[in-house]
Amino acid sequence: MKIVVTVKLVPDTNAAKRIDPATKRLVRTGLETVLNPFDEYAIEAALQLKEKLAGDSAVTVFSMAPESGKETIRKALAMGADDAVMLSDAGLEGSDVWATSYAMAQALKSVGFDLLICGGLADDGNTGGVPGALTEYLGVPAITNVRKIEEAANGKIKAQRETDSGYQVVNGPLPALITVTMAVGEPRYASLKGIMGAKKKPIKMVSLADLGLDRAVGTDGAKTEVLDVSAPKARQKARVVEAADGAAGAQAIFDFLRERKLI
Amino acid sequence: MQHAVVFVEQKSGQTRKVTFELASEARRIADALGGKAHAVVLGPGAGAVAEQLKSYPIDFIHITEDPDVDKFLLDPAIDYLEAVVKSVGPSLVLVPNTMLGRDVAGRVAARLECGLNSDITEIHVESGKTIGVGPKLQGSTTVASGFKSSDYGVVTVRPNAFDAQKGGAGAQVLNLEKPAGKTYAVEIENEVEEASGELGLEEAAVVVSGGRGLGGPEPFTTLLKPLADALGGAVGASRAAADAGWVPYSLQIGQTGKVVSPQLYIAVGISGAIQHKVGMQTAGTIIAVNRDAGVPIGEFADLLVVGDLFQILPQLTKMVEGAKTHA
Repeated sequence: MKIVVTVKLVPDTNAAKRIDPATKRLVRTGLETVLNPFDEYAIEAALQLKEKLAGDSAVTVFSMAPESGKETIRKALAMGADDAVMLSDAGLEGSDVWATSYAMAQALKSVGFDLLICGGLADDGNTGGVPGALTEYLGVPAITNVRKIEEAANGKIKAQRETDSGYQVVNGPLPALITVTMAVGEPRYASLKGIMGAKKKPIKMVSLADLGLDRAVGTDGAKTEVLDVSAPKARQKARVVEAADGAAGAQAIFDFLRERKLI
Repeated sequence: MQHAVVFVEQKSGQTRKVTFELASEARRIADALGGKAHAVVLGPGAGAVAEQLKSYPIDFIHITEDPDVDKFLLDPAIDYLEAVVKSVGPSLVLVPNTMLGRDVAGRVAARLECGLNSDITEIHVESGKTIGVGPKLQGSTTVASGFKSSDYGVVTVRPNAFDAQKGGAGAQVLNLEKPAGKTYAVEIENEVEEASGELGLEEAAVVVSGGRGLGGPEPFTTLLKPLADALGGAVGASRAAADAGWVPYSLQIGQTGKVVSPQLYIAVGISGAIQHKVGMQTAGTIIAVNRDAGVPIGEFADLLVVGDLFQILPQLTKMVEGAKTHA
């Protein structure tokens, strides 16, 4: 089974971020990028499936990212993925959900897959729109919010998918796209052996010229545009009350709720 | 001119509060754009939801009770929604930023070949164009985005961002025709309800959340739930609590969990690391209870009470209950 996992590189949560006022885009220079936390769960799900299937399954990591992200991609390889494909081109800069999904879909068609696994959300843009758009442009069935792959073999997939109030058991054909939730299991740490081995694993670079797209991507192809960026309303430091006992603590909160007309 | 079309999330006749928030916002946007306000309600129970929606200022409600919507995963719903939007014409499609809404939005935007503007908390109409404003980059930046030269646009809207306001003369309900020539591949075999506690967490006006400081699963039911009930709210949790298995992941609030914007957020035994902050920093009022005065949540909460949560919570719950009975 050929399993492909899409991975986004995102700025480290704890890093200070700056938006370039001219381009209105995130200044990525000097900003440490990490694997999108949601995508680490997708990698974990792929590795679990590969282990379960044994045989000749392989996990390929696919990422649309600048070439400078190669070292971060190696972290996914160190976790246990077999190889990687990076769609990397200056012409992709400024792509929105539409342009990203369109370009990724064309590249993924040539990579080929039986099962495509995506994280549910990206940590930076927080759109969660790419997997859905990929579903459409790839023309494959999709199962979203998977918490457990019960079976994936012989052209069929059976999975449990999370809902707001529980889960559903769903059946579909392969090839398919799935998105996974955190319930698939904590992403594994790379072993020392894995880290050493990742250095030798192939990372294939793909550019826009290789895809021969018939539509514009990047800033020109984007269907949304950033008009303004600003700092969010900053919250102030808390009023601190040291509660001598439970009654004093409860009273302090109760008075505050009254003050704010919340009760 | 553009219209506004609301995708309504519903199941067996039950819908979410965000439906009415979007209906009210759709009216405002449609008026500003010179169009009509539409709602799309799909699947068994759609008629009952349409009845509720009639109290809100919508012009048309498109419904179908087609059982395929519940039988097959998402595909029939996407087909219906695409068909409605294309028949309505140029429009802004409003989708709740929920688990289901996010799945719907990306696919419909692709079908319409249009832009997607996500997790929006404000919508402005300027010179006939819609601009969506929302937090990005883990809440560190507020971004305003517009749509470039397209007839259509899709926005996902954060629950609790807009007020639901009744009004209007009662919408006209239209029955949808089943899109022809479609076959569906992903079938829902069965559905299991595990917990009802998390229903509406993203929309609750009050969230009482617990973290590592609770020390185990029991205080979630013995301490947090009674307080949440007294305040008319829902129970949430930090990642530490979910990772420890004390609560299901569906209750987790934060970077890798749910994002909530309640009027009141009470964080109990939660330190408030950036991973948690991302999920709740847009709450109206934030109150923290922690035994450590130096916790990061003190940097952005409105009130930090330093003390023993096991002593404070039961007394607070009693006081809130008392206030309610005397109100």
